[in-house]
Amino acid sequence: MIRVAAVGDIHMAPENQGTLRPSFETLPECADVLLLAGDLTRHGTPEEAAVVAREIKDIGVPVVAVLGNHDHHDERPEEVTAILRDAGAHVLEGQAAVVTADGARIGVAGTKGFGGGFVGRCAGEFGEPLMKEFVRYSRRCADGLHGALRDLGDWNCDVRIALTHFSPVPDTLAGEPPEIYPFLGSYLLAEAIDTGGADLAVHGHAHAGTEHGMTSGGVRVRNVAQPVIGQAFHVYHLPGRDQRPTG
Amino acid sequence: MTDASAPPPPGAANLDYRVAHLADHLAAGPLGELGVRLELRGDAVLLTGTVPSTQCRDEIVHMAREELAGHPVHCDILVAGTSSPDHGEDLT
Repeated sequence: MIRVAAVGDIHMAPENQGTLRPSFETLPECADVLLLAGDLTRHGTPEEAAVVAREIKDIGVPVVAVLGNHDHHDERPEEVTAILRDAGAHVLEGQAAVVTADGARIGVAGTKGFGGGFVGRCAGEFGEPLMKEFVRYSRRCADGLHGALRDLGDWNCDVRIALTHFSPVPDTLAGEPPEIYPFLGSYLLAEAIDTGGADLAVHGHAHAGTEHGMTSGGVRVRNVAQPVIGQAFHVYHLPGRDQRPTG
Repeated sequence: MTDASAPPPPGAANLDYRVAHLADHLAAGPLGELGVRLELRGDAVLLTGTVPSTQCRDEIVHMAREELAGHPVHCDILVAGTSSPDHGEDLT
């Protein structure tokens, strides 16, 4: 069994330094990896990133993260990424990482993702340059996720996980006003997950949403925004390759 | 030229616009807060959502009461939980 811990939207700032660390230090007892689903800071400043770094450094399990929109607000995502990497985290944007636990290979493909909406209720690549760029950016994020999942398919992983900040499905947005769904996720991410292949998809961003969802291709989706799960993280148990039903 | 002593244009002080501007200020200000919902309840405004700390919640309520002076502000904002889960979910 592979144990995946995940949380997003922890929105750290100097005033909440140390609030998550005690729970994170219990991770080696209950999880093989910690996924961070973006919005790790409030404004994406190096000072706030350093707060996150101190929360996760040497916690005893590998940490894999994507950034969120808050982590881009100060327009220094490269600095935020570097600070988190210095603390030992894998920070993904259109990339994949494989971590190991007791010989099991856990593959994670990540992108921040972006909005645009869901089938039948989504933005189109048409009209003003700004509108076209909005949709193209969302597509680039999804393409990056797809490529990273395909890479994992070649890397002999026991499980493959898609990690995003924005949501791939509307299911996990239930509780948010329907009018803002196009700002919370994009079906392009779900399409990338279904065609690239994954055993689980984890995202954040939708604070008023719900935890459970599924892509149309049958991949389970979990919204791990801290306000949704109400705890420092949630843990998901996935069967290893030799524990899956055959036939 | 605008006369600074002139009364605001009709409608500018409507509560719904003031609430919308408060939402903008919460996002743009030092809190960077987009996770609080501001809803009209008659003459009052209800704040809901989950924020990272008690300081954050207190500052939001302070800002809301200041910007929406003259209207009651009710706060149902929660602070995010930081405990460890006592079990995992089996995805078999």
